[in-house]
Amino acid sequence: MHIMEGFLPNPWWEIWFAIAMPFVAYGIYRLSKVTKKIPEALPLLALMGAFIFVLSSLKLPSVTGSTSHPTGTGLAAVVVGPGITSVLSIIVLLFQALLLAHGGITTLGANVFSMGIVGPMVAYAVWIASKKARLPTSAGIFLAAALGDLFTYVTTSVQLALVFPTSAGFFDAFLKFGTIFAITQIPLAIGEGILAVILFDFLAKYKGQLLATLKVIKLPGVSSTQEEIKS
Amino acid sequence: MAHSDIYAHIDRSAYTNLLAKNSPITKGFFALSALIISVSSQSIIVPIIIFTITTVLLLRFAKIKAHFYLDLLIYPTAMAALSCLFIALFFGYGQALTQINLPWFTWTIFKNGITMSVNTFFRVESALSCLYFLVLTTSITDIFITLRRFKVPRVVVELSLLIYRYIFVLLEISVKMNTAQKLRLGNSGLIKRMRSVALVAGNLFIRTLEQGERTFVAMNARGYDGNIRVLEDLPKPKKAAIFGIVLFDIILAIAIFLTTNIGVV
Repeated sequence: MHIMEGFLPNPWWEIWFAIAMPFVAYGIYRLSKVTKKIPEALPLLALMGAFIFVLSSLKLPSVTGSTSHPTGTGLAAVVVGPGITSVLSIIVLLFQALLLAHGGITTLGANVFSMGIVGPMVAYAVWIASKKARLPTSAGIFLAAALGDLFTYVTTSVQLALVFPTSAGFFDAFLKFGTIFAITQIPLAIGEGILAVILFDFLAKYKGQLLATLKVIKLPGVSSTQEEIKS
Repeated sequence: MAHSDIYAHIDRSAYTNLLAKNSPITKGFFALSALIISVSSQSIIVPIIIFTITTVLLLRFAKIKAHFYLDLLIYPTAMAALSCLFIALFFGYGQALTQINLPWFTWTIFKNGITMSVNTFFRVESALSCLYFLVLTTSITDIFITLRRFKVPRVVVELSLLIYRYIFVLLEISVKMNTAQKLRLGNSGLIKRMRSVALVAGNLFIRTLEQGERTFVAMNARGYDGNIRVLEDLPKPKKAAIFGIVLFDIILAIAIFLTTNIGVV
């Protein structure tokens, strides 16, 4: 959910920038470490970013009749980790603002926080937890993508409710925004989850070796570069 | 207009408009300062002034086609109008404007909700015009070279330039795949459409990886050392222009201060 340019007034957009920046800075630190160690990672990561952008222009039908698009960041978080995903998201969101006027420059901080930080972190945490709980891979991917998507919208509702309060206070406003989003977003989150599972199965079938190298799934006898990326 | 047309058009206009040869620092400074002033405004007056000025600059001086500019504005404006209507009807506090007694609850519309919503709408429109001013007059490459000059980490600029390039490459592939699916009735029905989107996404991802490997080899063969060098032959900002923009900003800032408490109801 992109908050559009100019929608957040003065103190708020600065606040969200301030909150998002440490995460992005950490992501940049990880990114420069990874690219120093594995130079071929840079073109690959760039393609991932472009992939997220193009994915967001593929329209997905939702039950309410509106069309929306998959965010792809949940899956990205599972594959490259939430730190680097936050850098990819800030760049992709900037391009969406610059090339599509989708989102904006002043609202970049708030949008990165909801879509590039909270969503991917939730997705990553759910993925790790589901692996610990020994859930089947597809269930884990579904939960990670769907919950990551939902938490993105919860965060957006919080961000909007803080700016536009009602007489009954912040929580009432949060519920109002939350309810409106829920109508379209719950089916969408489920859609995104299903899409992520199909996509992931497809990848596992044709590029299983690569996923194993990135240590997303286990194949016997494949060394992992994820360890290198992690350290 | 389809998504893919929009970015091709914006990109083309960034290279062909009449302000393309001006310094990106001047254009960026103007757009960003006007943007910040718009979002700081508490009334509708300053946003209207900014919207008018940027629109005149775009249409008269950059010679952007009016119907294209309108096409770009119409979708976000509709979205903004809808969101603002929602805010006006359900949000706000303090003094009530009107109360409607419904059987199950009393629906109150607040004065301050209306003010908030109208202010937001004009703020969005003015901010959008500033954003369009930047993107329609300045190419992405110029923007990122300028960012590099302002000490944005190299690796981020590098990644951004690569992403920018690949967006167009992948877009072309995905449009082709989509056409192929449409020809084979891949979009008939919800389930088929879901499957088609997932197939495009999956195939695109694999193409992406293979392309990434090939590109890395090609770049290495040409001596890639982690830096893409672009010709940084950008015009320097004119002092007079910067001075004029600062003056303009100061006047608008004073205007914001003077118009703070002008409400619409």
